[in-house]
Amino acid sequence: MGLIENLKSYSEKVQTSEKKKELLTSFLVKGFPTTKDEEWKYTSLKKVVAKEYTIENTGELIDSSTIEKYSLGFENKIVFSDGKLISSPNIEGISISGFSDFEDSTTGSVLQLNKALANNGFTISVDKNTVLENPIEILFFSTAANNFSQYRNQISVGDNAEVKFVERIQNTNDSTSMVNHFTQINCAKNTKVEYNKIQNNTADSRLIDTVSVYQEQDSTCDINTLVFGGSFIRNNLNFEQNGSNCESNMNGVSILDDNQLADNHTFVDHKSAHCRSNEMYKGVYLGKSKGVFNGKIMVRPDAQKIDAFQSNNNLLLSDDSSIDSKPQLEIYADDVKCSHGCTIGQLDDDELFYMRSRGIGIEEAKAVLTYAFASEAIENISVEPVKLLAQNLLAQKLNVDLDFSL
Amino acid sequence: MLKINDLKAGIEENQILKGINLEVKAGEVHAIMGPNGSGKSTLSAVIAGNEDYEVEGGSITFNGEDLLELDPEERAHNGVFLSFQYPVEIPGISVSNFIKTSISEKRKAQGLEPLPTKDLLKMMREKMELLSIKQGYLSRNMNEGFSGGEKKRNEIFQMAMLEPRLAILDETDSGLDIDALRIVANGVNKLKSADNATVVITHYQRLLDYIVPDFVHVLYNGRIIKSGGAELAHELEEKGYDWVTKEADKQWA
Amino acid sequence: MSEQKRQSEDELLEKVTSTEYKYGFTTDIESDTIPKGLSEDVVRIISAKKNEPQWMLDYRLKAYKAWLEMEEPDWANVSYEKPNYQDVIYYSAPKQKPVLDSLDDLDPEMKKTFDKLGISLDEQKKLANVAVDIVMDSVSVATSFKETLAEKGIIFCSISDAIQDHPELVKKYLGTVVPARDNFFSALNSAVFSDGSFCYIPKGVKCPMELSTYFRINEAGTGQFERTLLIADEGSQVSYLEGCTAPMRDENQLHAAVVELIAMDDADIKYSTVQNWYPGNAEGVGGVFNFVTKRGICYKNAKISWTQVETGSAVTWKYPSCILKGDNAIGEFFSVAVTNNRQQADTGTKMIHLGKNTKSTIIAKGISAGKSDGNYRGLVKISKGATNSRNFSQCDSLLMGDKCGSHTFPYIEVKNNSSKVEHEATTSKIGEDQIFYCNQRGIGTEAAIALIVNGYCKDVLNQLPMEFAVEAQKLLEISLEGSVG
Repeated sequence: MGLIENLKSYSEKVQTSEKKKELLTSFLVKGFPTTKDEEWKYTSLKKVVAKEYTIENTGELIDSSTIEKYSLGFENKIVFSDGKLISSPNIEGISISGFSDFEDSTTGSVLQLNKALANNGFTISVDKNTVLENPIEILFFSTAANNFSQYRNQISVGDNAEVKFVERIQNTNDSTSMVNHFTQINCAKNTKVEYNKIQNNTADSRLIDTVSVYQEQDSTCDINTLVFGGSFIRNNLNFEQNGSNCESNMNGVSILDDNQLADNHTFVDHKSAHCRSNEMYKGVYLGKSKGVFNGKIMVRPDAQKIDAFQSNNNLLLSDDSSIDSKPQLEIYADDVKCSHGCTIGQLDDDELFYMRSRGIGIEEAKAVLTYAFASEAIENISVEPVKLLAQNLLAQKLNVDLDFSL
Repeated sequence: MLKINDLKAGIEENQILKGINLEVKAGEVHAIMGPNGSGKSTLSAVIAGNEDYEVEGGSITFNGEDLLELDPEERAHNGVFLSFQYPVEIPGISVSNFIKTSISEKRKAQGLEPLPTKDLLKMMREKMELLSIKQGYLSRNMNEGFSGGEKKRNEIFQMAMLEPRLAILDETDSGLDIDALRIVANGVNKLKSADNATVVITHYQRLLDYIVPDFVHVLYNGRIIKSGGAELAHELEEKGYDWVTKEADKQWA
Repeated sequence: MSEQKRQSEDELLEKVTSTEYKYGFTTDIESDTIPKGLSEDVVRIISAKKNEPQWMLDYRLKAYKAWLEMEEPDWANVSYEKPNYQDVIYYSAPKQKPVLDSLDDLDPEMKKTFDKLGISLDEQKKLANVAVDIVMDSVSVATSFKETLAEKGIIFCSISDAIQDHPELVKKYLGTVVPARDNFFSALNSAVFSDGSFCYIPKGVKCPMELSTYFRINEAGTGQFERTLLIADEGSQVSYLEGCTAPMRDENQLHAAVVELIAMDDADIKYSTVQNWYPGNAEGVGGVFNFVTKRGICYKNAKISWTQVETGSAVTWKYPSCILKGDNAIGEFFSVAVTNNRQQADTGTKMIHLGKNTKSTIIAKGISAGKSDGNYRGLVKISKGATNSRNFSQCDSLLMGDKCGSHTFPYIEVKNNSSKVEHEATTSKIGEDQIFYCNQRGIGTEAAIALIVNGYCKDVLNQLPMEFAVEAQKLLEISLEGSVG
């Protein structure tokens, strides 16, 4: 038995549309991707899907103190409890509602499964010219044990609008629940969107999260991914630039310990000329943790004058940690400036010694240097409380009592 | 030697030079001064043939030949030298190799055999001495990792090697400390002769203490609004540009 | 950029990309060929023609059987019509006595070929102190300097001779670094290789001269499957050069070589290649399929350095690699890969760090022009036990024209926390400001491009032995410039 079997028996009794049934049936033929699949070469789902999961969303309604506990305290909150949308704010110029299915251009069997099973999620539509200063906080809670849940969300941002989001997916128990999460963000002309993903779920939780961004001209979209908690995390980030003067920014910080695995996959598709992308992923690995980075920059023919920059830096701080990195460039236009850099190493002994000679204890010195290492990516986040949280979680992971918020 | 007649040029839609008239004769030193954004660097770029700039009207002749008809390298072969404000780095190519190529190409265009390496090296040594350039410099890569001063000195060294008939020094003084400035100016003065001419483009009068011009022109808003002798530069240094530009603003308003 | 400039650049690129292949001539020599196609019988015929011992035949047959079960790989970022392996001639020997007493006995036609290739087997090379082995089509035709080398105990001969004269060495090492079943092409090569070079440097011996092999495919429709085995015993040193050319042909020619290097403790091997197989014409007709497996193993304190300048072939599939098995072993890979017209190259390296304190350096420079595609594909693997290992990789791509592609696919796998890996890659076009600067100093655009490209490749070209570097530089200019005389 295992997830595939759970899905099979679910498919036999579920009442759903013909189309979804078909998707599910064809998924069950193919199954989950294996490490033979180039996109999953370094990340094995084998153990994750060998577990038993419930497919239906059933759980207890969470209470306000739980919300309080995981919220960063923003005024505008969207809250889901086991799939149910239990709270959503009224904001002028922004309509927020529950699940409404939509088509998307993503491929891959995991997303096909999402398409087949999802009947929860949010739909946000931001009117033209709406500028929202404070971020919208989106919280997904799961109270059911060992549940395999799907969310399918869509954000459409109208011309000239500016909006920020902070998202958190949280289990309220220590089970091996898994979430297959998909968010489509459509950025119309001259929009500014920032989406912050806080991934600090319980120790045994699993997550496959995909965000696809479609950008029109003059739009800027930032996605910040903070990976701290969870045993298995796979992030897919896809940007499609469809107009000139687009900018796509990605910042990622992963601090892993124990047996955690975090895989950040990014794909930037430069389809139009005069666009930019910046990508900065920092990884710190402790215990027996494993990091994977796979970043691909594609510049299509005639997409001239592209500036694309990608960096992936990793610190291996323990004997049993490891990292697999695959930074890739696929360039079909000549007037471009594209680069990627990848480093894997340790903290600098001279720097450590220097700090210790100034009276800073070794653990603190390590923490300070590690923070310095990760801070470049954290600094790019514009939402102050998210930045602060990242700093605190970092200190917590490194076991030091330090305030980095200077 | 150089005749510029009603030259209009710009970049994309933006007209920067709005009718420049200038004549430079052999043996003369001209200084072109002016506030930032007046079009000084555009003028030097257009003379050298930078194709980023569009010539919209007027003419430039060099010893009677239509300069605008020529490719940048042909202009160089004819003896036009531009000392770049921002010299370009060419990784992997040594200074000596670059200069050798440069001289060989010019000689090729003139139907001459390449200079024997021995003669070339001798000439390099002489010119290096002239500019107080240290040994070891020749094997460094073109401008790669050079300080601002080294880059400028490298430009003047190439000028010395190429022996141009017209040298345009575009903000050669920027990025130079006082000692380097003196050495560079000294080099320029030593290379001066009755057959060649120099156009010094600068924002400040400082360089003109060392390279004394025969004529000073004030470039403002794409036009030469005032010309005079060396004393004009001192006047500008004292009074600033305002007293000349205000008048011009009135005239062209 | 102004319209005028774009136009002149297009013209220049047009000129650059329409350069004809300089080495496109065939040599009119009678050949001894067998019918085309591959079967167990063909493998037996090849072995019999070479009068091989039973163990060699067994090795070939085993490889052939493995090959039958394998599939041609398609993971590389290249597309081509897969060759019909039954349409290839697997053995073609120039019809003459393969071993010559003196180089003066060479067929005058063949001698002309070598002269055209710029290889003079006589005084010139003697002065240059290079020992040459020439493999034409499938058979080694001449090895020079055999005696001089023999004095030092160095064996440098064709692999066929080595199988006859030094069976114990061949038997011990053949297939140990690249097993027959390693991949589709290595299996094919192991089954049908007809000749190649063999080299053994005894303990503590520093090879007194560069060793060199030239490969040339001449006969139409033949495949060339050469096999190179180089063993540097403890504390020895050798520098080995390899050059490749092929005549112009309309059909694709297949080249599937295997090179194995063994660097014992403290040994040092430098292996340089200038590859200029026929790349096909501007429309992509013809050209060589270059599917090569090159790999070396380094024992304690040993070093293997691969340098390659790849300008030829229609399709290149090649990853010279190092297995850094012993502690303190060093692996290096320096590469310039030029693609033009419709050429496709998928090339790079693998550095497998197993021993402690192992170091590797990768410098890869790609230049794509015309409608070509250049790919860098590399693996750096630091295994758990490779304490204190280091890798530095720099992969740069230069694009010339807006119809070409340039791609970088590095794989970095690190399982040891005391090791450091640094990888950098850039893609850009030749700087217009650089070209203008050169123009201003009187250097025409074409010469400026050559100059800039040369500078860009300097780190790699510097690694080549002197006379090879000059040849490689010329080759770069020819491949990109249109300045062929």
